Amino acid sequence: MSQDRSRTTYQESAAGLARRALGALHGAGGTAMVAEHVESERDPGAALAAIRILGADVLAPAVLAGTAFHPLDAEAVALSFTALPPSREEPLPPPTGPEEPWLMAWRDWGTVTLLTVLTSGDTARTGVPRPTSPPAGVAAPRDGTGWADWSVRMGRLSALALPGLESPVHDAARGAPLALARGATRAVLRRDYPTAARIVRWLAWLHADGVELPLDPAPLVEHIGLMAGGDRLALDTAIARRLIDV
Amino acid sequence: MPMPVTQTAHRITSRALTWLHSNREHSTLPPGTTAELAEPDSVYKPLGETALAASLVLREAVAGSTELRLARELLDFSWEQLGAGAMLHERLLRYPMMSDPLETYTHFARSGYRHEGLDRLLAHTTSLRSARAVEVMPNRRLAIANAARVGGFDQGDRAADWAALTRATWLGALPEPWLIDWMTAYHMTHTVFHLTDWGRVPADLPVELAAYLTDWLPAWIDIWAEIAEWDLVAELMIVGSSLPDPLCDPADWERLARLQHEDGLMPRDGHPVAGDAGERFAAHHHTTVVAAVAGTLAVSRTLGTRR
Repeated sequence: MSQDRSRTTYQESAAGLARRALGALHGAGGTAMVAEHVESERDPGAALAAIRILGADVLAPAVLAGTAFHPLDAEAVALSFTALPPSREEPLPPPTGPEEPWLMAWRDWGTVTLLTVLTSGDTARTGVPRPTSPPAGVAAPRDGTGWADWSVRMGRLSALALPGLESPVHDAARGAPLALARGATRAVLRRDYPTAARIVRWLAWLHADGVELPLDPAPLVEHIGLMAGGDRLALDTAIARRLIDV
Repeated sequence: MPMPVTQTAHRITSRALTWLHSNREHSTLPPGTTAELAEPDSVYKPLGETALAASLVLREAVAGSTELRLARELLDFSWEQLGAGAMLHERLLRYPMMSDPLETYTHFARSGYRHEGLDRLLAHTTSLRSARAVEVMPNRRLAIANAARVGGFDQGDRAADWAALTRATWLGALPEPWLIDWMTAYHMTHTVFHLTDWGRVPADLPVELAAYLTDWLPAWIDIWAEIAEWDLVAELMIVGSSLPDPLCDPADWERLARLQHEDGLMPRDGHPVAGDAGERFAAHHHTTVVAAVAGTLAVSRTLGTRR
């Protein structure tokens, strides 16, 4: 029960941080929104966990809106890694290994890699952890089956769908735009809008990357944003819109 | 590699035909039925649907001798119920603007059953501007065009403008695949049924429509299978078999085979199959017809009978 409660606390904190990131993306937030989030949160542990849950999305305003990346934000992100150190073990990709640690390893890789880009590699000063080599990837579905589960898994890695990141996961997305488009379609038809919003991030990223898509992502993003609420979903659709408009 | 689908699909058709045959008395028209047909959908439509399935079994000729015999007997039975076409003739005399006599007749005409008076009357009614001006939904207009084509009533200047009819449908617009709903999905399946004459001419499906369906059918089959809309799922599988490059996922066929009852009944949805034989016939006849058609076309396409 206490685990459930802390889980809820983390999710609430993540929603609050998503709201701040959305504000920053729209140019309305403070200058150091990650640091402010940690300072304002009653439970600092939850605030730091929220950074790891959102992953590279806390850096999305700096990447996409070109807002200055504040050194205090870099310190806050770095602190989330020292306070909650990632597992040293290399997780095996699903279905060989459990999905959750593998997803977390990928999210961490995305956060650290993008942070290094934003701090111009000046990791010594900010205490930013060094980027490690990316975890093992999963191949995209090839034979017309398996697209549903794969697209949901890719959706859970939506924080990687940002400019400045390159990895086997990105190559897998490039190799399977139809699987992602089917996955987004399926999620919308099942009215699972949070999942749809996460998968559509990849479609938007592919669009920005110049990959030809089997559907127009713009009305799909608009539809998802209008059909459902939630801070994470709002952030996902806002990032997707930015990527499409680029 | 396609053999498992071929075998599974054949077994589904065989069992469905057996059920349609052993339950055919439930589609007997009540005594005193006239061409007026106050409730055509309940007493008259099942006869036409059975005839459709049977006519496709004979047309594709990929079933065994037992299935071909069952199909022929089902057509004989249904044709006899309709007074060897006299009932359809009377109905068209009474309602000359209605298309259902033509659409029902087509399934028999496909297998060589003709009624002289009905032929003469249809040659007249289908030649009228009225026949094309009746206000119906775009996919229904394709149904009428295909019925005229199969019956041979589309000669010369009566030929349908298939491209224009297709453009007017939901599918013709290549709409956002994520906004389809249950009723629209049925409209879409029927657009494909009539454009391709139930898989006879897959090449008549415009290239861009075929590509669109190839992209999105798997997603639609997935979501409607999840909520156990078996009737629609089986219709979507017919669409898959009607594509120029057919789409027959072995997992879909195995699922359909598992759903089919031992006696051949194909349940329409996830609700328990209940009631007496008559009620079961009323509820599941359509889906069993769809299963027979789906199986027939999948066998034909996986064997490479059509290109």
